[in-house]
Order: sequence, then structure tokens, then C-alpha cells
Amino acid sequence: MALVLGDWPPFRIFWSSAKFAFKALFSWLRPEMWLMQLFTLPLFQMAFFVYLSRFVNPGAAGVAYISVGNALQVASFSSIFAVCNITSEEKWQGTLTPLITTPASRFPLFVGRAMFQILNSIATIVVGFVYASFVFGVDMSGTDFVALAVVILVTSLAMTGFGLMLGSVGLYLRTAMIIANIFLFIGLLVCGVNFPVTALPRWLQPLSYAIPMTYGTIAARAAIQGSTVAELGPLILQEIGAGAGSVVVGYLLFLGFEALARRRGAFEEF
Amino acid sequence: MTGRPEKAITVSELRRTYQTSKGIFRKKKEIVEAVKGISFDVEFGELFGLVGPNGAGKTTTIKILTTLLTPTSGNARVLGFDIARDVVEIRRRIGIIFGGERGLYYRVSGRENLRYFADLYGVPLAKRDKRINELLDMVGLSERADSKVESYSRGMKQRLHIAKGLVNDPELIFMDEPTIGLDPQAARDTRAMIKQLVEKEKTILLTTHYMFEADELCHRIGVISNGEIAALDTPSGLKRFVKDISVIEVEAFGIVDSDIASLRQRPEVKSVSSNLEGERQTVRIQTPKGSEFIPQVTKILSGAKIFDIRTKEPTLEDAYLRLVS
Amino acid sequence: MSLLHFFADPQWIIPNIIAPFIFTAVALVLFRNVSGSVALYAVLGGGMMGMWGNTLYGSGFALAFDRWNGTIEYVLATPSRLVWIIAGRSASNAVLGLVNALAILAVVMIGYGPLLAVADPILFLVALILTLASLSTLGVVLCSAFLLSRSASVMTNGLEFPIYVASGSMFPIALLPFWSHPLSLSLGPTWGIDAMRYAADSTYKGLGFGYWIDVSVVMISTIVYLAIGFWLFIVAEKKVRDDATLVEY
Repeated sequence: MALVLGDWPPFRIFWSSAKFAFKALFSWLRPEMWLMQLFTLPLFQMAFFVYLSRFVNPGAAGVAYISVGNALQVASFSSIFAVCNITSEEKWQGTLTPLITTPASRFPLFVGRAMFQILNSIATIVVGFVYASFVFGVDMSGTDFVALAVVILVTSLAMTGFGLMLGSVGLYLRTAMIIANIFLFIGLLVCGVNFPVTALPRWLQPLSYAIPMTYGTIAARAAIQGSTVAELGPLILQEIGAGAGSVVVGYLLFLGFEALARRRGAFEEF
Repeated sequence: MTGRPEKAITVSELRRTYQTSKGIFRKKKEIVEAVKGISFDVEFGELFGLVGPNGAGKTTTIKILTTLLTPTSGNARVLGFDIARDVVEIRRRIGIIFGGERGLYYRVSGRENLRYFADLYGVPLAKRDKRINELLDMVGLSERADSKVESYSRGMKQRLHIAKGLVNDPELIFMDEPTIGLDPQAARDTRAMIKQLVEKEKTILLTTHYMFEADELCHRIGVISNGEIAALDTPSGLKRFVKDISVIEVEAFGIVDSDIASLRQRPEVKSVSSNLEGERQTVRIQTPKGSEFIPQVTKILSGAKIFDIRTKEPTLEDAYLRLVS
Repeated sequence: MSLLHFFADPQWIIPNIIAPFIFTAVALVLFRNVSGSVALYAVLGGGMMGMWGNTLYGSGFALAFDRWNGTIEYVLATPSRLVWIIAGRSASNAVLGLVNALAILAVVMIGYGPLLAVADPILFLVALILTLASLSTLGVVLCSAFLLSRSASVMTNGLEFPIYVASGSMFPIALLPFWSHPLSLSLGPTWGIDAMRYAADSTYKGLGFGYWIDVSVVMISTIVYLAIGFWLFIVAEKKVRDDATLVEY
């Protein structure tokens, strides 16, 4: 497949960027470190909120709710934090300018760069669900695993798209790190991870519905109760919509940033 | 766009202003005119030099021509394409070598850097690896091609920049201060590579503030000063600006700024350039008077210890100094 | 000096003001139907998480930042023992964390009313400062690991939540599996938080040893961490010099 598509420019740029990002990351990140992060991060974050919920609200329902929510949320480290920092890291390294001067299309370039994080997200969420089931005792006997798999895939893709948009915003404001940190954890509060969105003040709720993961948490819980893909259709579509919308906004923002930088001569500043 | 354009580059009344703000609390807006309406052409196969002091507008001009900056007014055509409208077409066909410590991916090898950019430029897959090997050979990085760039010396990084700028086999190449910061050997090797490129009929636009380099390499030189073109000619043509003068070169110790000021005040003196660093100070005085003026020079510099004083033929550097002062 | 650096580059502090605020907000929503001393857990926990987050990110990232900037070689070359530089940084970061904690307290008081009447302010403050010291020195110990590893920032992420869980920052450690209790009790901050709760709420039962024992353990832990940290640094410094692994990043 790669050979056939190989010479088709967008695919080539996408694939090349994906491989390159992978190589660049693992040139300094030892695989053991990555694995350690993959297996410990979900565990301890989930443990924190599970024990907190046991303290506040001792009852299996609360624990299940929180475990599932956090199993999804832990992917934010990859899909939000790492992805958001992609563009500003380029700028910081001084490689944003050389990239801009190539004729390569920006869309496949940055999506390709984010590819590894999409896979990382999926892996993290799967690990999270394994913990939910075996460590925190969530009953997954009635789960529709196909539906759950779809939810995991869509959430990873959509949240990465959201992360790319945040990366574009970060370019403009030169505060990618701050934005990455805010949105890394904001999911805990607003995405129905630890409690329903309805528990939040009204003025905050629109933010929840702009973030793809909010739909994912609802869908994941339903899938565990046995809902099928068909039944979850509307939610999944809404999540895809939120993700796709983010990508479009992010892409337009990036093009806008490029145009602005060309007018102001601001590529090298960071 | 049919047929080959007449010139590689045409620049017409190019203007570029920047708005900067000073201060932290009360931002004061300042308008800086970096380029004030310059016009020039570059022929195919030519090595064109753009020289000038820091802040003269060279880098701004080259950024405009390489699509990194839009002009405030005026226009330019690169390989027949308009720099405002045909950005992607231009980017596909030019090579950009800006050099420096940044702009390369440190965590991967030189070869991987080149491969990635080759992919981004759409170099045909069948030709890619062969071309990369040839480029690595040409810049002398074949042995270290698979080491991480973070382990490269400054000179090696510069060579990688050159290879990267050629990865798409461009017919027009832009180089911004290609030898700056390099040790003499590395600089010499770089200049040799540039000459090789000219032999391969590439067109090159190069900026530099080393006059001897411009003299050695360029077919024509445009002198930019204060955002405007002060002169545009071949090196020998430019030297004619100073054919009426001689240069008195003084090597001494103990010359102070007020001595230089006194020299400059003399009506016979066209310009003075000095290098007062260290123990051997050098002062070059341009004057039509030639060796007749030497007694006055020794009088003004009586407080210093003069090792050597002689007249010399004016060089391109003298012409340049004359033009930019 | 590093405080100045951070003030000049707020990108590196602000992230860690945000996270504890969010955690506290989450906890408060979770605690919304509960009142009294249970809410104390939320707020103190958030504050303490802020302190730890700052120490961790400050030290870990400072080193990572140094590596990226290439300044780590210069830092290593200075006469003052690296460990004091890092200790200084950890301390200043913990202080920033304190500011963070106080900020959270202030916001919560404004938002939720005076649910946080501290029974004995002076003892509370003492416990707070000692906990800070313990956190700082724990940060020093971890820094030596960061010095050896390029993946400093990865480890930083990995160490955040384990401490929040093990130290019982927002819930009693009694809830944790019994086999993890020795681990929790070996952490100075666990005792520090317990002491702060004693000082804040006169009805608090906690670990059951009382305020003064808690405070003593915190002090001892601080000294122990400092000693370990010092020794580890000497080892790490030597190893790094021998291996020349410093500049690669």
C-alpha cells in the first residue's frame, strides 16, 4: 500500500512526517521509559480519582464511572499535551522556517507528525481499560467490545485533532506550553470524566461540548453497558464532528499564522 | 507561463517597512524602512552578490525573494514566478541555504534530515537516495552521514545546510552569509563548493559582508546601504569608484578614537576604516593624495607607535567603504 | 537566581498553577454534597499538589531546560556544588508552590465561603513550612535521577500522581491497599499533610499519632532526604562527567 501511494504527494508527506516524528522521539526517549509511562501514568491517575471517589462516595457505581472516564482522559498526555507542543517545538528548534519554505502541504505534514501520538493515545486508553477492569473492579462482562473499540479509536483521533488546533493557537499566542497544560487536565473537570457535565455551572458547559472527549466518555460508559455501534451512532458522529471541526479550525489558524508571519517577518521569534 | 523567463530574478521598486514597538509599559510604535525601493536583475548562471553592512536590508531582501516575507510595495519575479502569487511554485524550484546552528533536526542523523526534506520537496523516490549520497559526497559528510546532527561541529552543520539546500536540485539558490562563523578552512571549502555550483550552471544569489569573498566569487555585486542600492556592477567595475584614490595602510599600536576622528576631519581624507583590536592595530585611510599624505598621517598619529605605513592599491573593500559611508 | 529566571519565563510556572486549581475544582465538585472537614481534604490536597507539582516540574524541567539550552555544562562547572544549586531551585519552586497553595486557598474561601476556618494558624503554618521543606528535599533526591536521564520530562510526568496517591493528599491513606501503607508512611509529606489537618481541624483523627509526632517525622525525613540527595548527586555528577552523557539531549 505504501509503495502504491508512495509517490502521491500528500501521502508521502504524511508517511514521511510520521516516520520522522517517530525516529526523532525515540532517538532520545528510551523505549523502557516510554513503556513505563504507558503503564504507570494511567494507573496512578486512575487510582487517585478512584480513591478520592471512594472517600467521598463509597459505592461501586461511583468507582466505575470514574474509572471509565479517567481511562479515556489519560490519553490527553499524548493527544493534547504532546501534539499541542509539536508546532512550538519546531519553532523553538528553528526548523519551522525550513518547513515553511518547502512546497509541502501543511495538512498531511502535521497530521503525519501527530500520528505516533494517535497510536500512543489508543494504547494508553486500552491500558486504562485493562486497569479499570482488573485493578479497579469495573464489571465489563456486558461490554460491546466492537463499540468500545470504535469509541477508543474515534476519541483518540478526535482529541488529536483538538490537540492540533491547540497547537495552532499556541503558535499565535506563543504560549503553547500553557495551553497544553490547561487542556491536559481540563478534561478532568469538564468532559464528564469524574462527574456528569450537568454538575458544572451553566456557563462552563459549552466548553464541555466543544471538546470531543465529552462525547467519548458518555459513549464509552454506554458501550460497557452493552450499547452497540448503531445505538451509539449519534454520539460517535458528534465526537467526529467536534474533532473534524477542530482540525479545520486548526488548519485555518495555521495558514493564517503563516500569512501573518510573512507580513510581519515573525518566523524566528519564540 | 510559457517558455523560459529572461532573467532568473527581477526586482522592481521593492519596499519593506517594519513596525516595531519599544518599551514595556508604554509601547511606542516605530516604523523602520528596511528596504527603500530597490530594483535589480539577476541573470541565469550568474553568481550575484548582495553586500552591505548589518541592517542594510540584505537579509530582508533575501527573505522577500525566498517567500518568507511579503514586500510592503513593489514586486519581484523569481524564475518568472510572482513572489506574492506563485509562492508554492517558487518554493518548489529554489534552494535556500541560511546556515547557522538552527534549522536542522538535531536528534536524527544528517542523512535522515536530508531524506525528510527530500520527501517534503517531492524528490522522486527513485532518485532520492542516490541524490542524497551524491550531495553528502559533495559536501564531505559521507562518513558522518549517519551520526546525529547534535554531534556535528559548526562546519559540518553548515555543510549539511548546503546539502539540504540542494536536495531538490534547484536551479536557483539563495545563500545568506554562507561562511559566517566558520573557521578559515571550512570557509575556504564552502567557497570552493559554491564555485562548483556555478560551474554546474546554477544561478546563485548570495549575501555576505566579507568583501574579499564577494570579490573572489561574484560575477556582479549589488551594494546595499541603508535599504537602498548604492551601486551595482562587476567587482572591477566597483573598484573604479576608488580608482582616483590610494589607500594608506598603517600598522601601529596606541591609536585612540580621537586620532581616528582627527583623521576623518581632514578634507583630504575620503574615509577611514580601523581595526583597533589587540596589539596590532590597522588603519586604512582613503585619500587621493596618496603617499604625499603620509607625513600628515604620522603627525596626527604621533602619540602612537607606528610599525609600518605604506600605500596600497584600493581593493573592493575600499570601494565598498566608500559607497556605504 | 532561578526564581528570577522563572519570573522572566512564566511559561514554566503557570502550567503548575493550573493543574492544582483544576484538581481542587474537580475535588470540590466531587465533594459538593459533603461539608466540614472532608472539604478540608480538597483544599489542602490541592495546595499540596501545587507544591509538589512545582517542585517536580521546576527541578525536572529546569534540568531539562538546561540541557536543551546547553547551560548544564556551565552549571556543572561552577564551583558551588551542583546539589546546592538544585536544592536552591527546589526550594524556590516549593515556595512558588506555597504561593500557589495560598492562591488556591484564597480562591476557595472566596468561592465557597469560610469553610476553611483553621483551628490553630501558627501550628498550621509551621506544619506547612516543614512539609514544604520535605517536598523540596524529596525533589532534590529525584533530581539526581533526572541528571542521569535524558528523559527527565518523561519521569516528571510519571512521578506526579504516585506522590499524590501515596501521600494521601486528598484522601486518608487508610483507603489504600494495606501493603502500600509502609510506602506512604515512608514519605515525609504524608506526615506533613496529616499535621496540617490536625492543626486545621481540632476534631481530626488522621494517622493517630498527633501533631507533634507528625512534625518530628517530617523534620527527620527532610534531613534524611537531604543526606540521600547529597550523596546521590556526588555519585551522579561523577558518573555524568565520566560518561560524557551530559550534552546529548
